[in-house]
Amino acid sequence: MIDFNFTEEQDMFRKAAQEFTETFVVPEIAEMEKTAEVNTKVVKALGEAEMTAITIPEQYGGLGLGFTERLIALEEIGKASVATAMMLQVNHLGIAPIVNFGTEAQKQKYLPKLASGESMATVAVTEATGGSNPGGCKTSYHKDGNNYVLNGRKCFITNSHIADTLVVFAKDADNKEKKSFSTFIVEKDFPGFKATHVEHKIGMRGCNTGELSFDNCVIPAENLLGQEGKGMKIAMSAIGDVGRGGMVGCSLGLQTACLDASIKFANERILYGKPIFEMQTIQNKIAEMKVDLEAGRLLGYRAAAVQDEGKMSANEFAVAKYFTTEAVQKAAKMAVDIHGGYGCMEEYAVTRYLRDSFVIGPSAGTSDIMKVIIARWAVS
Amino acid sequence: MDNNKGSVWVIAEQGKLGILDVSLQLIGKARQLADELDSSVEVVSLGYECNLIGTQLIAAGADKVYITDDPATAVYQAELYTKLISHLFIQQQPNIVLIGSTFMGRELAPLLAATLKTGLTAHCTDLCLDDKGILEQKIPAYGGMMTIVCPEKRPQMATVAKGVFRQQEIDNTRSGDIIPIEIPVDFKARIRTLDIVNEETPAIALESAEKIVAGGAGAQNIEGWNMIEELATLLGAGLGSTRPAVDEAWTKINTMIGQSGRMVNPKLYIGIGLSGEQQHMVGIVDSDIMIAINNDEQSPIFKQVDYGIVDDCQLFLPELIKKLKAHQEK
Amino acid sequence: MFKIAVCIKAVPDPELASKIKIDPKTGSLIRTNIPLAINPLDRNALEAALNIKSTQGGEITIFSMGPPQADTTLKQCLALGADQGILLSDIAFAGADAYSTALTLASGIKKAGDFDLIFCGVSSSDGATEWVGPEISVFLGLPVVTLVSEISEVTSELIQLKANIENGYRKVEVDLPALLTVTMELNTPKNLSFSGIIKAKKKEITVWGIKDLDISENLVGLKGSPTIVTEMKPMEKKRAVEFIEGDRVEKANTLVSKLFEAGII
Repeated sequence: MIDFNFTEEQDMFRKAAQEFTETFVVPEIAEMEKTAEVNTKVVKALGEAEMTAITIPEQYGGLGLGFTERLIALEEIGKASVATAMMLQVNHLGIAPIVNFGTEAQKQKYLPKLASGESMATVAVTEATGGSNPGGCKTSYHKDGNNYVLNGRKCFITNSHIADTLVVFAKDADNKEKKSFSTFIVEKDFPGFKATHVEHKIGMRGCNTGELSFDNCVIPAENLLGQEGKGMKIAMSAIGDVGRGGMVGCSLGLQTACLDASIKFANERILYGKPIFEMQTIQNKIAEMKVDLEAGRLLGYRAAAVQDEGKMSANEFAVAKYFTTEAVQKAAKMAVDIHGGYGCMEEYAVTRYLRDSFVIGPSAGTSDIMKVIIARWAVS
Repeated sequence: MDNNKGSVWVIAEQGKLGILDVSLQLIGKARQLADELDSSVEVVSLGYECNLIGTQLIAAGADKVYITDDPATAVYQAELYTKLISHLFIQQQPNIVLIGSTFMGRELAPLLAATLKTGLTAHCTDLCLDDKGILEQKIPAYGGMMTIVCPEKRPQMATVAKGVFRQQEIDNTRSGDIIPIEIPVDFKARIRTLDIVNEETPAIALESAEKIVAGGAGAQNIEGWNMIEELATLLGAGLGSTRPAVDEAWTKINTMIGQSGRMVNPKLYIGIGLSGEQQHMVGIVDSDIMIAINNDEQSPIFKQVDYGIVDDCQLFLPELIKKLKAHQEK
Repeated sequence: MFKIAVCIKAVPDPELASKIKIDPKTGSLIRTNIPLAINPLDRNALEAALNIKSTQGGEITIFSMGPPQADTTLKQCLALGADQGILLSDIAFAGADAYSTALTLASGIKKAGDFDLIFCGVSSSDGATEWVGPEISVFLGLPVVTLVSEISEVTSELIQLKANIENGYRKVEVDLPALLTVTMELNTPKNLSFSGIIKAKKKEITVWGIKDLDISENLVGLKGSPTIVTEMKPMEKKRAVEFIEGDRVEKANTLVSKLFEAGII
């Protein structure tokens, strides 16, 4: 029989993530909702609880754990706060290209601080030209002696204003014949770099999203990440595995939160002399949420297992990402419906769940793009 | 030890103002059990400079009293108290021993039980004899009542909290024997009390309060808790709590009513923002009127009270307080 | 270097434990599938041991009497920082009351060696007698202080601490070796950490049965328990609630009237 069980260690990782969330995240949720600002206590706690170190190899101060453990942590954090789970998942997303394509010098320089949480990370690919079409990006670089000079603007970048280490995707300005892309490690103090406009999202409040501006930003040659011209492969591998996997974690956590809130309310709300849970129409919705959660967990953890075996998992994660992010939007709407009038009242968490679910949808690739990838996989 | 031939004993604890209420209550209960068993009540009480203790214990219902009056036993010392009392019990072979669930009792009782290799039941809310004369020790558990017995080992030991049993009438005409206990001279204490610090007691002693207002997790935060306190003050009621309120540090553990807390027996009990969990509800030995305010219509508390109000306590209490103040002004 | 023992109990997760009820027909417990967790006060006990280990150096051994599946709870203790665990598990130990539980644990501790300090939580969330810690101290011949709320000094010879009493505390000094039972005021237990879980993989849990202990089968488990449970009855509810209706103002008015009619105010 295929072993669908988690190991004892993985169960303990899950418990550790739950304790972390209960102690450090839950008390800050109200504040995050109110101000929509990144909570510095939470950021500090993420580092101290080693959440930032999960996917960094041990020799650089990380835990050297796999993507299953990462998904477990994100799922548990996402049950309480999708904003925090998102901030963490994008942090991992900025770390992954350095782990996978960085030189030894780059790893020694950046990974230890990222492991401890002293530095935060992100990946900057999306621009006004469309995140769904990274090849259309306008941000470009040209070589200038021992440096590269970057020009352009990135938008909808999560962790834009808190990241110290950014992996930036740009087009080769000097290559007129064909499109060529590279990635660079940018430090926020590099001259010409600025985090500019902050977005006001309707959901995931407490997770920062914003614009980056590169105005003759000077990058030393040793900060080229991977080979010149290999930028698309590097960026897509990060987004494909790590980014999509992170959205699965956010979705699974939020799906569980929607289901739990619905069950609780349905058991307490009395109509016609009995809890509404006893009504078939309510049970229908609960059952759908449950099926989607079971299916989503299987898809997500299967993709993570493929990745942990060292195999390519971008396709499996495309399926899991598409499925769970669509499912969570349905679950949030059903949860709000079950709450009736109360589902419109701010003091009920389900209203936050609904808003968070909208922001989950297009993150790390829209469902429409996922389907293009999945169709390609189906015929391959 | 011989079954059921011995006496019913109480270990009576002394406080600053004399014998503790719980010990007097247990002597009353011991008297009742002893009468049923056609046996006698014997009491041991350790202390210092407590001249009338022996007489008082006899007036409370004891037939024989064993006491110490020595600086060595002025303050509770686990090893010495265990040594003296266990030696006494080995000589006197009690059938039943009752101890108050005070902080001292809860440490001394298991030390004695282990030393005498016998059974001990914690926090009994009732005691009675079965048809063979064996002590049935009843404690609340899992939403119901459990009966525990110690069929063979002797003595049968139980701790009981203050307020579970009622004190018997003091009868100064009663007579009995007062026997001093000798203290060994060569005793070396491995545990030494350096200081005893008493912090302020709550204004209204819960056990004797006629009105009690108790709050729980439903207070939600300190603002909500303050409203509950205000209601208690307005009604002249004792303030009680459940475990969650203590864990949140809204109130101290000495206001906690329940199985591991205080036992109460008021005329009026109002439970606010608490769910009526058994661990708390067994602390209410009885009450003439019970009222609950809780925002969950399905809460188990509503099966255990006379009147229920379904509402968010933070929204309802200000209205109630307003009405009470208006009423009091009339 | 302190040799510290910590006694822990695997209990039904207290957050979910209220689901366990008495079956009115059979008088036994209806146990739904509630996962086991470390008894909350035992985490305070382990934290106290970890604090001494970090300031004074030491080795922490966990002792627990329980079913085989309690080993996940011991693994959590190792992940929290204990060095090794000993699980006393045998069908012979089943059905034990506080007395035979304490005797079994004391036998295990005796077999494992001499300890400078033994920590226990004051009570367990599912038994709540408070007896096991003090009874272990008698079986090991050690001094005991219960309800420890603060530890102010630790030397190789003695320990100075505060223990709760009615409306206050006593300041106490105890010669080592000693056994202490701790309250939740003593410390705030650390959370499980990912790196602790990784390190725990290299630590050992040993399982001992009755054959490994120097004690007769008649003295443990149900056979060795001086007390037994003879009956379990669900509680009869005796009050029928009358809900006070109306909007908030009406409810307040009605309540005040009822209190007035009853002579309370």
